[in-house]
Amino acid sequence: MKIAKFLFIPFFLLKLSALLAQNDYHANIHQDFPGQTLKIAPAIGLNPWPTSDLVISNLVQWDIKKRLSLVSYTAYTYNSVFLRNFNYIKTNYNYSLSQKVGVGTTLYSKRASHTFSLLGGIKYNSFKETLENPDFEKVSASVSSVSPDFGGMYHLQVGKKKFFFSYRMYLPLYPYPVQRLDITAIDGNIANLSLEFGLGVRLK
Amino acid sequence: MKKLIPILLVFVIASCQKEDFSADLTEAFSIESTSSGANYPIKVALPENYSPETQTYATIYVLDGEQDFDFVAENCKKISNEFSTSNVLVVSIGYGNDRVDDYTPTKAKEGGGGAEKFMQFIENELIPRIESNYAVDTLRSSRTILGHSFGGLLGAYAFTNHNSVFGNYLMLSPSIWYDNEIMLRLEQENRNINSNNHQLVYLGLGQLENEGRMFAPFEAFHQRLQNYYDYIAMQRHIEQHLDHMGSKNPNILKGLNFYFKFR
Repeated sequence: MKIAKFLFIPFFLLKLSALLAQNDYHANIHQDFPGQTLKIAPAIGLNPWPTSDLVISNLVQWDIKKRLSLVSYTAYTYNSVFLRNFNYIKTNYNYSLSQKVGVGTTLYSKRASHTFSLLGGIKYNSFKETLENPDFEKVSASVSSVSPDFGGMYHLQVGKKKFFFSYRMYLPLYPYPVQRLDITAIDGNIANLSLEFGLGVRLK
Repeated sequence: MKKLIPILLVFVIASCQKEDFSADLTEAFSIESTSSGANYPIKVALPENYSPETQTYATIYVLDGEQDFDFVAENCKKISNEFSTSNVLVVSIGYGNDRVDDYTPTKAKEGGGGAEKFMQFIENELIPRIESNYAVDTLRSSRTILGHSFGGLLGAYAFTNHNSVFGNYLMLSPSIWYDNEIMLRLEQENRNINSNNHQLVYLGLGQLENEGRMFAPFEAFHQRLQNYYDYIAMQRHIEQHLDHMGSKNPNILKGLNFYFKFR
């Protein structure tokens, strides 16, 4: 059953993108694939729930064929922007570094393209917090860890010239399985949905 | 439509859930509490080959029973078999009030502070009912409380303020941060009364619980128990790569293993 659950999400995303691609095909059959293109798109964004993490990321996308892209995604996350001094608990530092690679498929329209990717890689998390309640002893706790990181990404690219507007949404699928789908809960999946905006450049 | 069939099939397979704990071994009733005024649904999972004439059993009281009872009962059966030891009665305490009221010791922004009434219900109404209706061991050392998050906070409150009720505490991601770490104050106030009691304590947390509230108070509470309680058997465990909800079930398993091994 666990294996079936693991297979379900990538299968579903691939199937969905294939269906969308087929529906989209007739409308876009005359859109020309510009040829192999390397794109670089730095961006800034948020994991909006529940404590808001600030994300600075860079995406490199190499469109090998019309429907096939290789993707590399690098991100620095400044965690819990608005919750760094709570009930006398001070956050000394709290950040993550992530590097992922994967494959995607792209749908084209007149002014934009939509890439759906599956990515996998590693994530380094580091944080330290200190209890500084004057009524009690001072206690610090810190964690540094490397964990797997995989998930699905949607990348919207608006503009067909050298520079384009980039919007992306990354949904982590690790830890897996998802415990619940409440987006405001302090969970590792839905709550860590990442929304990013940036400016990309095409390099031939 | 044909294209959708594989997707629907995968949905069906993925949505299949593990069976609930055997209904034959589960009894259910409710208690209208005079302490809190709420009506609590209670479930009791009996051990296999439950033989009240010849044997008495230890008990595990599970908070957030609606969510965790089946998982705890199923795994108590497995783990007790692995250790070749007697299984326990698992008692599920369902929701009568909002959990943020029943499980919190004081009134604060995040909760209503009904823990004292809720503990009165457990101590004076639920436990006597269980111990009169089932073949259970009535010693403090045979009673365990298990809770996660605010449930873990209530476990900590039971430890500090009602230490004569339970001898074993499985506290998973306890919200020690609550109300400016009020649990640390309560621990300090009741330390002289509690520190000479035998205790078995499991403290679990998820490594990715990095929201700026969980780790430091958890460590402070752990250090207090380690430093001031001579008769405590304690395990502190950080579940790798998992967060608040993700670490719950793995910590329940480790906590139960610790309990069955060292009780």
